[in-house]
Amino acid sequence: MRRASATERMPPPVVALLASPLGALVRAVARIRASVHVKLLAGFLLFTRLFIAMTAVSLRTLTETARQTNLLDEAHERVGWSRQIEHALAMQMHFTAMALLSKDDDIVARILRENNRFNDTLARLEKAAPTEERALIQAIRGSQDDAMATVADIANAVRDGRLADAMTALRTRQEPLYAKIETLVGSLVAAEETRMASLRVSIAAASHYSLRVMAGFAVASIVLALLGGFVISWSFILPVREAHGFLSEVAEGRFGGTIVVPNRDEFGALAEHMNWMSRELRRLDDEQRVAAETLRSLNDRLALASRAKSEFLANMSHELRTPLNAILGFTEIMLDELYGEVPPTLREPLVDIQTNGRHLLRLINDVLDLSKIEAGRLELGVGEYSVQEIVEVVHASLKSLALEKGLAFTAGVSPDIPPAWGDGRRITQCLLNLAGNALKFTRQGRVDIEVRLDGEWLVYRVSDTGIGIPKDEVENIFAEFRQVDTTVTREYGGTGLGLSITKRLVELHGGRIGVESELGKGSRFFFTVPLRTDGGRA
Amino acid sequence: MRDRTVLHIEDNEYNRKIVRQLLSRTPYRLLEAADGEEGVAVAQRELPDLILMDVQLPKLSGLDATRLLRADPRTAHIPLVVVTSFALSGDDRRAMDAGASAYLAKPYSPRDLLTLIHKFLPEN
Repeated sequence: MRRASATERMPPPVVALLASPLGALVRAVARIRASVHVKLLAGFLLFTRLFIAMTAVSLRTLTETARQTNLLDEAHERVGWSRQIEHALAMQMHFTAMALLSKDDDIVARILRENNRFNDTLARLEKAAPTEERALIQAIRGSQDDAMATVADIANAVRDGRLADAMTALRTRQEPLYAKIETLVGSLVAAEETRMASLRVSIAAASHYSLRVMAGFAVASIVLALLGGFVISWSFILPVREAHGFLSEVAEGRFGGTIVVPNRDEFGALAEHMNWMSRELRRLDDEQRVAAETLRSLNDRLALASRAKSEFLANMSHELRTPLNAILGFTEIMLDELYGEVPPTLREPLVDIQTNGRHLLRLINDVLDLSKIEAGRLELGVGEYSVQEIVEVVHASLKSLALEKGLAFTAGVSPDIPPAWGDGRRITQCLLNLAGNALKFTRQGRVDIEVRLDGEWLVYRVSDTGIGIPKDEVENIFAEFRQVDTTVTREYGGTGLGLSITKRLVELHGGRIGVESELGKGSRFFFTVPLRTDGGRA
Repeated sequence: MRDRTVLHIEDNEYNRKIVRQLLSRTPYRLLEAADGEEGVAVAQRELPDLILMDVQLPKLSGLDATRLLRADPRTAHIPLVVVTSFALSGDDRRAMDAGASAYLAKPYSPRDLLTLIHKFLPEN
């Protein structure tokens, strides 16, 4: 028996997905020989590592951007300084020109102050400047030194009153020097501005790059996380779904299927166990089927045998009675002297024949009754009956026996008993059995029949002063073919079926039977039946 | 008026003999049949005043024979006593259902049988 595949029970998108390379990946993960715990841990570690890597890359990008920003700031500062230098130079030129006009020593001091400012700023610039700008700065310093020497000459000429010389020096030496310095500072500024521009471009590029890297990592992480989650979860879901389908089949009573999962983890082990269970269930089911089949055929044969037995018994009942009818019939018409007068010597043996014939009839009736009860073919003929009548019939039919044995024999019925519902003839049979037994097993004393109503129950009681029943035999007394011992059968006669039949008949009415007995002192048998019995089947 | 006729249908010779002996001192005329088919034939031919029918007979069972006789308008009214197997066997109910006027359990007392016959056919 091959079961429906698990995929037939899955939604179509899942089936399509599992047929794709992703499905192969799911199966590959399932096939990894590692525990579920390890697989989950590995999955989470992978995501953690991705996260750490992303953080590291981000940090590196941030540091680089900060460094370049710093560089930009420095360049910016240097441009500021260069502007200050230009300003100091302009002031210097201005004061030099003023010196010619005012012939004031104070002007010289101002020129010197501007010169100091120039040199301080240049020194700071030199310290911060990149190497390639050093030469330019040296050239500026050289020209400035020359300019200061010229200032000194001009100052001396002014002090000495050689204004024409001072003017010439200013025009021919000082002005070209200033022009040169101005040009040099201008190129320095231009160089720094170029550098700043390139730094700005580089920073923008770096920030763009970092954005791209971060986005890339984010996308990669999401895709990997989804993929990993999908693959790992499906490598667990697939065997669970398979198991679900498999167990549903088992629950529906279809054993022997197999569950196939690629997993080599706990789910794989579980599937192995389920297959084992399935095989065991199938084996037990087969065994049970065979046993049931055997039982059924045995049952059929038994039913056949039982029917044959019942038919045999029905025939036998009549076959046995027909010759008995002749025996008892001839005896009776002889005793009734239809064949003429019966001599006294013959009368006694004729009565003996009659007594024994009747006894044989009772035995046959008992055996057939019990067979019918055993075969479950005895039905109660339910109808209304009078308890008083039953007790009268029983008392009347046994009165002569009691008289013969010299026993006191009484029958008492509570006057409040209404008409009862049940099988009156069977109840009569029961009471006859109990009272007959009591008379049979009592040598002296008395036998009393008593019937009273206890709620909805009729209680029939027969007490005697007979031989009693030993304690260890009391519970066996109602079993078939039981008499206290076999010697009892020889001494008192009987088939040992009476009590057993009585018990079955009482139970058929829904009642119960019991006995209290004391060895040597007597017994009290009782049975209870509902006042109204619906009737049943043995 | 002719003597009243009793038809005894019974396969056992000895049981027929008992009834024969029992009725020998009475004014009843006795007819006998040893199986169900013969019993029905005699009943339809002779139209007796009372039929004693054993329940278990060769060829045609007592109950089937009873049903046949009850279905026949000529014999439907004739009193018919079925001799059943055993009062508690259920034969009594089946006999009454088949249309018997009365039943008598086997083994019966010849005295009781005679009483029953007198009940259906009172002697003048």
